[in-house]
Amino acid sequence: MFENLEKCLQTRNASKADLVQLRGQKRVMTTCTVKNGVIEGSSNIFLSGVGVRVFVNGKSWGFSSTNTSDLESTEQALKNALELAKASAELKRQKTMLEPIREVTTDVSIPVKKSPRDFSTEEIVEIPLDAYKGAKEAGPKVADVKATYISIEDDKYFLSSEGSRIRQNITRLELFVNVMAKSNDLFCPASETLGHTGGLELFDETSSYSLGKTVAEKAVRLLDVRAPPSGKFRVVIHPTLCATLLHEAIGHPLEADLAMTGGGFGNRIGELVSSKLVTIYDDGHVPRGLGYFAYDDEGVECKRIALIKNGVLKSFMHDRTSAAVAGLSPTGNAHAWDYSVEPLIRQTNIGIEAGDCSLEEMIEDVKEGLFLEGTFGGQADVNADFTFGFQNARWIRHGRLGEELRGANVAGNAIEVFKTIDAVGEEAVLRPGACGKYQFAIQGRVVPAIRCEIMVGGMGGK
Amino acid sequence: MNLDINWNSLSNLAHKAIKVLEKKSITHAEAFFTCMQTTEVAIRNSEIHTQNRVDDSGVGFRVVVGGNKVGFACTNTLSEKAVLEAGEKAFDSARVSSEVPNFALPEKGQLPKVEGLFDSRVAEVGMKEGVDVAGRMIRAAQDFDRRVIAKDGRVLFVSGWRGIVNTLGVDFEEQETRAVIYLGGSGEQNGEVTPSCYDVMLCRTVDLEPEKVGENVGKMVVEMFKPQPLKSFEGTVVFGPEAVSYQLFNVLVDALKGENVVAGSSAWAGNLGQEVASEDLTVIDNAVLEKGFASRSFDDEGCSSQKTILLRKGKLESFLHDATSANALKMRNTGNASRFPSGFDMIRAIVGNGYRTKPEIYPSNLVIQSGTKTNEGLVSEIDKGVLVESMAGFSQPGSGVISAQLSRAFFIENGEIKYPIKGGMISGVAFDWLKRISGISRDTKQFMNVIVPSLRIEEAKLVGA
Repeated sequence: MFENLEKCLQTRNASKADLVQLRGQKRVMTTCTVKNGVIEGSSNIFLSGVGVRVFVNGKSWGFSSTNTSDLESTEQALKNALELAKASAELKRQKTMLEPIREVTTDVSIPVKKSPRDFSTEEIVEIPLDAYKGAKEAGPKVADVKATYISIEDDKYFLSSEGSRIRQNITRLELFVNVMAKSNDLFCPASETLGHTGGLELFDETSSYSLGKTVAEKAVRLLDVRAPPSGKFRVVIHPTLCATLLHEAIGHPLEADLAMTGGGFGNRIGELVSSKLVTIYDDGHVPRGLGYFAYDDEGVECKRIALIKNGVLKSFMHDRTSAAVAGLSPTGNAHAWDYSVEPLIRQTNIGIEAGDCSLEEMIEDVKEGLFLEGTFGGQADVNADFTFGFQNARWIRHGRLGEELRGANVAGNAIEVFKTIDAVGEEAVLRPGACGKYQFAIQGRVVPAIRCEIMVGGMGGK
Repeated sequence: MNLDINWNSLSNLAHKAIKVLEKKSITHAEAFFTCMQTTEVAIRNSEIHTQNRVDDSGVGFRVVVGGNKVGFACTNTLSEKAVLEAGEKAFDSARVSSEVPNFALPEKGQLPKVEGLFDSRVAEVGMKEGVDVAGRMIRAAQDFDRRVIAKDGRVLFVSGWRGIVNTLGVDFEEQETRAVIYLGGSGEQNGEVTPSCYDVMLCRTVDLEPEKVGENVGKMVVEMFKPQPLKSFEGTVVFGPEAVSYQLFNVLVDALKGENVVAGSSAWAGNLGQEVASEDLTVIDNAVLEKGFASRSFDDEGCSSQKTILLRKGKLESFLHDATSANALKMRNTGNASRFPSGFDMIRAIVGNGYRTKPEIYPSNLVIQSGTKTNEGLVSEIDKGVLVESMAGFSQPGSGVISAQLSRAFFIENGEIKYPIKGGMISGVAFDWLKRISGISRDTKQFMNVIVPSLRIEEAKLVGA
């Protein structure tokens, strides 16, 4: 199918645009869900298609995609994209001078040790089934267990009228385990995810059985503990939760398109925006990170970008358009979930550099506070207000971990919360993540534990 | 038209694949197929950001072998070879599945006539019209007040076909259109940025009112200027339709899903016929509502649509079912199999919806019946409370625990709205809230799968800084 893309780029219509970007993609996904021991069948998803993006009159983009990738359909998509781009060009006030990018011809395959293709369906099914078996080990209070395995194999081909031809093969794998424990009328959920860019070597370190067992044991344990309190607390945030905080509360406001809407970090480059202990970066080259890409979907090379250094705002994440508006070079952050949607400014693997505190040291200094762990996801607004859920907590009293507590939500303003960080953990861990900004994405996060002040919306007392 | 030609060829391929599968040693087979054309204009920072046109069509197969072992596969490559291979792949995957207890597919039924699902004007809408609607919406927001930024928005026209065929005689097709305008705005005053304020309008025709949506967003943004912090207290809360349509809706749906009742994870599993909420609360699933945004004459596994009373005056009358949960509980199938649920699910987010997934239970148009009070009337009877128009945060599945950040909320004292709130939270168990409803508004608003009024609830816990 990719041969039609080259032909399409040579047509008369293609020459009508300032810039044409074609993205052909074949995606094969396999999922297998085991729910309460029942193998609900593996699903095999075969997708392919072409996305066409054009830039016209130095002003506006148009995008069109199709799942029928013959030459005629691709050309029709190109015509649609041109028509769309022209429809709004006259309304745009300013021209955008896109910085030319280096022409690249390359073929990048990200190494996979154990390719899902080398495993039979029977063997794949064992993975979520083992997670279920592990979860059942936690006893009769385990009421509901759902384990889902998914592999995503992408073969992507990017062509641009500027000359680039970039082929990328990427395999990503995830396992999601959700457990609900029940006792009388009380329900307690817990969940955990494993995921990386690579193959089934994902389970070499942590087996799906042990993952299922750990999650279920937590859910059962939480049945017998109290709800957390409400109010503002000094907290130590475990990397599992710090990943959500970083992505939602700091990551999004550092995406140039969101930053430019005002508020948050907009126009504050060079200023101290966070605790001096904090250094934040985005890096498309973190090995095994779910946001591992050699090139973004505009053909820009991905690299490590310093976003905040020692508390000072250094850069936003850019695509070619936002970079042009800001007079900077693009940072390789334009990514599209698949061929059918246009690239947007996205995080790849966002990270906080590890500090020098051990977890014990972080807890030691807290007179009364909470240790928060696990995530139920979250959301953030343009003004950097955020909210997200934690799965479980522990009281910290006089520098020691105390009574375990159930989950709730925390909320606050990211910029204010990040100013209160007074300790950063010495070990940064790679976590899987996901994001739903206009379109879906799976991403990596590299995070240590942190200590800060945050508002907790629990239902319990002290 | 291109769309119709594609549809005919897709439908033929799906039928052919089912015939091929019928010759194998299968129990049942099903093909669900769609052909959709989407034109979209995206707004960012009060400007037209991009325009997209997405053509997507494909077919997904469920194949059942040896009793109740189910396999699934799909493709969007519409060659005979690719479609037949997908059917074959579903067959292969069924063989390594385990028996799904009580698995069932619907048999052929009589379809109701549901009016107003298709408007040819939506199908024929041009690129320029989308840009025009977006422009009018932005202007209306900014004309209301110059401090308002139309931060992000969408104009969406969707036209397409949906079809299903199975080996039990189900063979239905339906043509439909949808139009959506959506705008999120915020504003800055004295260096302080308001939370995002959203409005949306969803319909089946081209009769959109971009000026109204733009003006509403402008109004909401201006209302959020000069917010004040909240002190913790327990009091009366009015949840506006947006708040009801999100967190409260999720709790309701979670408790009403037949599959959760079967699994024992629904909080209302043993409560059929019992009072579970205030007697003011009546909740209906109505898939046959004329021009309803989520109306349809058959669900996404081919069961004919109906109107189902779920809660009547606080009493639980029915759950939401697909063929399998209805079969498991020996209850009537309510036609709630959906391949387009709008709630978040990680796997669906990755693989996509429609032909790319197996169906799950979800409401069509979930209607909370309106009450008698005006919005002013609901507020005027409150000594001390909060009006929560929108909040951010998830409800916890099963338990109904909501702990959310107030995003668009106002402090109420002595029957009057005093000021917008900055940075508070609300926490509680939604099932308890539903028992403490003290008033319902007479105005309702339509969101994706819900049509809801404002609900006033007593004794809610508000958390301040």
